[in-house]
Amino acid sequence: MSKRLLFEDIDEPGLNTLAVYERRGGYESLRKALRMSPEDVLKNLEASGLRGRGGAGFAMGKKVSFLPKGSIEKYLVCNADESEPGTFKDRELMQKTPHMLIEGLIIASYAAGASRSFIYIRGEYVLQADVLDTALAEARAAGYVGERILGSEHSLSLLVHRGAGAYICGEETGLLDSLEGKRGNPRLKPPFPANQGLYQGPTLINNVETLSTVPSIIRMGGEEYAQLGTEQSTGTKLVSVSGHVRRPGNYEIELGISSREIIYGLAGGPDEGREVKCWFPGGSSSPVLTAADLDVPYDFESMAKAGSMLGSGAIIVVDDSTPILDVALKTAKFYRHESCGKCTPCREGTNWTVKMLERIDRGEATPMDLEIMASVQEHIIGHCLCVLGDAMAMPIGSMIAKFKGEFEAHIERRRMESQTLPAEAVA
Amino acid sequence: MSATAPRGWDVPADLEKDPATIPDPATTPVPEELRREIEAHMALYPDTRSAALPALAAAQRVHGWCSPEAIEQAACVMGVTPAELDAVVTFYDMLETEPVGRTSVYVCTNISCSLRGADALYDAMREAAGEDAAFNVRAFECLGACDIAPMASVDGVYVGPLTTDDVPRLLEDIRAGRDVMPEKQLARRPVADPNASSREFPRHAAEDGAR
Amino acid sequence: MPRPVAKTITFTIDGREVQAPENQMLVDAAKHGDVEIPVFCYEPKLGNPVGACRMCLVEVEGIPKLQTGCSTPVKDGMVVNTQSERVKEAQRAVVEFLLINHPLDCPVCDKGGECPLQDITFGWGPGISRFVEPKRHFVKPLELSSKIAIDRERCILCYRCVRFSQEISEDHQLVLLERGAHSYVSTFDGHPYEAPFSGNIVELCPVGALTSRPYRFRARPWDVEDAGSVCTLCPSQCNVMLTVRDERVLRVQARENPEVDDGWLCDRGRFAYPESAADRITEPLLRDGGELRPVSWERALEEAATRLARAGGRTGALAGGGASNEEGLALARLMREALHSPHLDSRPAGRLELESHRALAAAALQAQVPDLEFAHAVLVLDCDPIADAPILDLRLRKGVRRHGMKLVRASRDQLLDETRRGELIETLLADLRSVAGEEVVILWHERLAAGDDGERAVQVLLELAATLGLSETDGAGLLEVPAHANGRGLREAGVLPNAGPDLGEIDEEGLDAPGIARAFEQGELSCLYLLGVDPPSAGAGTIIAHASHLSDALREQADVVFPAEAYPEKEGEITHPDGRVQRVRRGVRHVGQTRDELWVLEDLMGRIGAMVPA
Repeated sequence: MSKRLLFEDIDEPGLNTLAVYERRGGYESLRKALRMSPEDVLKNLEASGLRGRGGAGFAMGKKVSFLPKGSIEKYLVCNADESEPGTFKDRELMQKTPHMLIEGLIIASYAAGASRSFIYIRGEYVLQADVLDTALAEARAAGYVGERILGSEHSLSLLVHRGAGAYICGEETGLLDSLEGKRGNPRLKPPFPANQGLYQGPTLINNVETLSTVPSIIRMGGEEYAQLGTEQSTGTKLVSVSGHVRRPGNYEIELGISSREIIYGLAGGPDEGREVKCWFPGGSSSPVLTAADLDVPYDFESMAKAGSMLGSGAIIVVDDSTPILDVALKTAKFYRHESCGKCTPCREGTNWTVKMLERIDRGEATPMDLEIMASVQEHIIGHCLCVLGDAMAMPIGSMIAKFKGEFEAHIERRRMESQTLPAEAVA
Repeated sequence: MSATAPRGWDVPADLEKDPATIPDPATTPVPEELRREIEAHMALYPDTRSAALPALAAAQRVHGWCSPEAIEQAACVMGVTPAELDAVVTFYDMLETEPVGRTSVYVCTNISCSLRGADALYDAMREAAGEDAAFNVRAFECLGACDIAPMASVDGVYVGPLTTDDVPRLLEDIRAGRDVMPEKQLARRPVADPNASSREFPRHAAEDGAR
Repeated sequence: MPRPVAKTITFTIDGREVQAPENQMLVDAAKHGDVEIPVFCYEPKLGNPVGACRMCLVEVEGIPKLQTGCSTPVKDGMVVNTQSERVKEAQRAVVEFLLINHPLDCPVCDKGGECPLQDITFGWGPGISRFVEPKRHFVKPLELSSKIAIDRERCILCYRCVRFSQEISEDHQLVLLERGAHSYVSTFDGHPYEAPFSGNIVELCPVGALTSRPYRFRARPWDVEDAGSVCTLCPSQCNVMLTVRDERVLRVQARENPEVDDGWLCDRGRFAYPESAADRITEPLLRDGGELRPVSWERALEEAATRLARAGGRTGALAGGGASNEEGLALARLMREALHSPHLDSRPAGRLELESHRALAAAALQAQVPDLEFAHAVLVLDCDPIADAPILDLRLRKGVRRHGMKLVRASRDQLLDETRRGELIETLLADLRSVAGEEVVILWHERLAAGDDGERAVQVLLELAATLGLSETDGAGLLEVPAHANGRGLREAGVLPNAGPDLGEIDEEGLDAPGIARAFEQGELSCLYLLGVDPPSAGAGTIIAHASHLSDALREQADVVFPAEAYPEKEGEITHPDGRVQRVRRGVRHVGQTRDELWVLEDLMGRIGAMVPA
């Protein structure tokens, strides 16, 4: 049985309370960290090899080290705007073990020298935000959050900030604008948040799972944590498995196990008689893989090598009962709806793609439209202000590439159907 | 949701109106409780402007939706122009730009839920709710609960997996002011991972009681 | 605070080595090598680039992804390619995307012929569109305000107009609503966009989405000529470009001068002139039978000369408005040399000791407009920029927003009260400490020096300047906003009761503006010569005036009225409040029988010289 760190006690009754969390060893890592120098804490984070669990997979320790040193006010923002379709791991953590996040966040703020912090949680997560608020009040009362934490020199304010329903606020600079009370439009980078983030101050932004992992790293020591997983994808990872599987849900895995083990072994695979047609390995913005890729190890570099990405660690399984057009249309419509509208290729490209897919569905398309659609995806990728445009264009592009035959057959069949309709139905 | 054109596209400015500058507190009455709530939020941030979302959420609770009046009141307390807040309101899905029913029922129709029948669920929900002002049934993007797909969020309470057969019961629970389908609430669901919660601990009597 | 200084670097663009200031954005740096990188959203006047339109994608060696030229600062040794197939394809793609929902109604679009979208589509677009879905349609055009029409179909969502509203004029009335492909530019709940600088968004719009209602369908770019001049409607003296068709000014646009106006115009400067072209006085008028009636130039000049000569030393003269330096000099000579009258003034505030004038004019104390932006603190004293010199309001906002300048406002009462003055100085010093700075600019209005306390107020102001060390500090100083557009130029031309040109000594001191008004009312002065100002008081004597429009006061009181040139018809120099001399150039012919006002003054001098033996 592989190691569980985040889910070790996850369903312990009352784990969301400070009393139970502390009895399970909670906040011991914080005490340990505060006995160390911030530099040593940072060294542990760097040694752990922990890569961001939100989607981009950037090394967390390195991200902390980008913050300027010195006494200027720095911010730490926890990205709890979990909105990538198929992803629901942070929800489980915040709801069931909020103190683990708070503890990790305090340790990270200590390493980064940040004195103000925020948890930006998506507005739909009402229960989880309430749980966090309650936990935060307990943590404050116990002296874990506030002035001179546990008698140390480190002080930290923390506030739970609720979003109001916009996927783009999961993008770190969109999140910052939203937290500043504006539309959640992503910002041009550079400047990067580490230099000019929230209120133009240096800002560290980390995902819930990333921060929740920090207490384990401090407890184990960075180097021991790095023993878990693979060389470049260390540690354990929560994977949200959904779609056509028999046991959808969150699983904690050691990075590097086979994808088949997750989809079939843990989540039970598709229903009897059904086969995996395609699967998104890292949320709906990752290029789809097929049944042929099921034995690819589930880690950052193997997924990249297979032409996709680990992303947020959300596997969506689509079985062979579903037309690929339906998957493409759902995906494209989502990104059109969520495009902030600031940059041209994303705003217009997502809109155009949906219209083309709808036309295919209406039986008014020709195979040439498929070529145009593929070219539109290429015109979006790499040309946008943030990654949202790519988040649609990469999976759609992968679907066109991998299921070209099915698209063409669909176009042909729908065309035939629409042409054979009786005249009055067309009128 | 995305198919209809937003209000305002085809509307000219009314030249008889004054420009919408920061509302004057003397001529913009704001319910006292709302004012206090917004001011409390403003006090929490280094820049009061950060309170826009909580302020608008509060105004929406009072007015039922982010009406021009609601926006003006929030703008008045925050000392910003109503346009600044309108820009925010229209950006976020949970802030309503039209009058809506009292209880919001967000049916997730994103990919994972739709693979498991969410579109039919949404249709059934729409049909059953009809024009009843008790409900604000909306198709919503991924609500982050694909493990209970297809699902719905009733004023923030996640329930699922739902079938179309569950719809009458769910709406009835709302109408009756009952806890909505407790047995299907996400809050009570254990983690799927069979190897989670694997650590053995001596249990306190109090905790056993809590269980 | 330190002004940006850039060192020159060398980079390579499209295979050629080019020199440019370091850290200049690539789209600007490219111009040094005659390379044009197309842009829509980029407009440095609006602040930091936003990278929204993606039109300026270029290849930078060593960076795998295409970069936006608008936001990539040029570095020494950088190698940039704007002509590779990859770049061209990306640029074609962006144009294709932008045109998806653009109606391409150029034949009926006011922007046609001067439209960046047209130009860029022609220069960088794919030439065809593969988009076959129905385009979105909106009702158009719609009123956005009394001055501006909005056509949402044409909008390419470049964000320029809303950035102007948020970050330049800071009126926060114009915003983007909704998101994604549904986004649109709007105000709140159907309110009009009425703000002091709203017209700038028309010029900023790179397509025909925002158009000027007064200019709509008045001309095509090939029907018009541009004429550069300087607006003399207020002391801001913004540099303007007049759009002229058939000797008529149809439109006024900004002619960017970063030292003066930063490329912006106020709505008055933009819209007032073409509107006021009606009801102009176009020929000389003479009171006859109780009413002003048109007469020949000869008759009017002769009548005026006769009356002036008769009044001689009992003539008073007031000058203001957009009267030029040359006119000021001529008026001073007319008064002092031809009529031997010392009673002339250009400052409604009235007399100041010559020593005070000179102290205020000390070279070390002069601040310039850009100093308002870069100073650590600005004290706005007895001055309301938005009313007195609107464009300075934008400059102050820019200083606060971009450079953290500290803005302090104070009234004359506050200055004159010793306790409150102490508090004011404390505030200023605390502000300076907070930013570890020392440069203070005091922006004050001429009215500070008005009235019985005027002289004292100026002395206190000079003491304050000394306390704050304004003379010794670079970038610090005083900046006076005069009451009249060319107040400083007229003062320096010697249109003062107690000084000649360049504040030189004169033999005999005369009455100041309030004194002239009083003396005329009491009959001590029998003739009043008005250059660009209204009669200050009623009196039994003769009033001779230059005017472009007939005010009620003139209609009732004036005896001879010469048609005044509007500034687009004028040729001459004026002096900006900060001392720079600007040239007003003639853009259109004189309306009707209007003549050079300088010529009028000189002609009168000749006639009077012939009448009165020297």
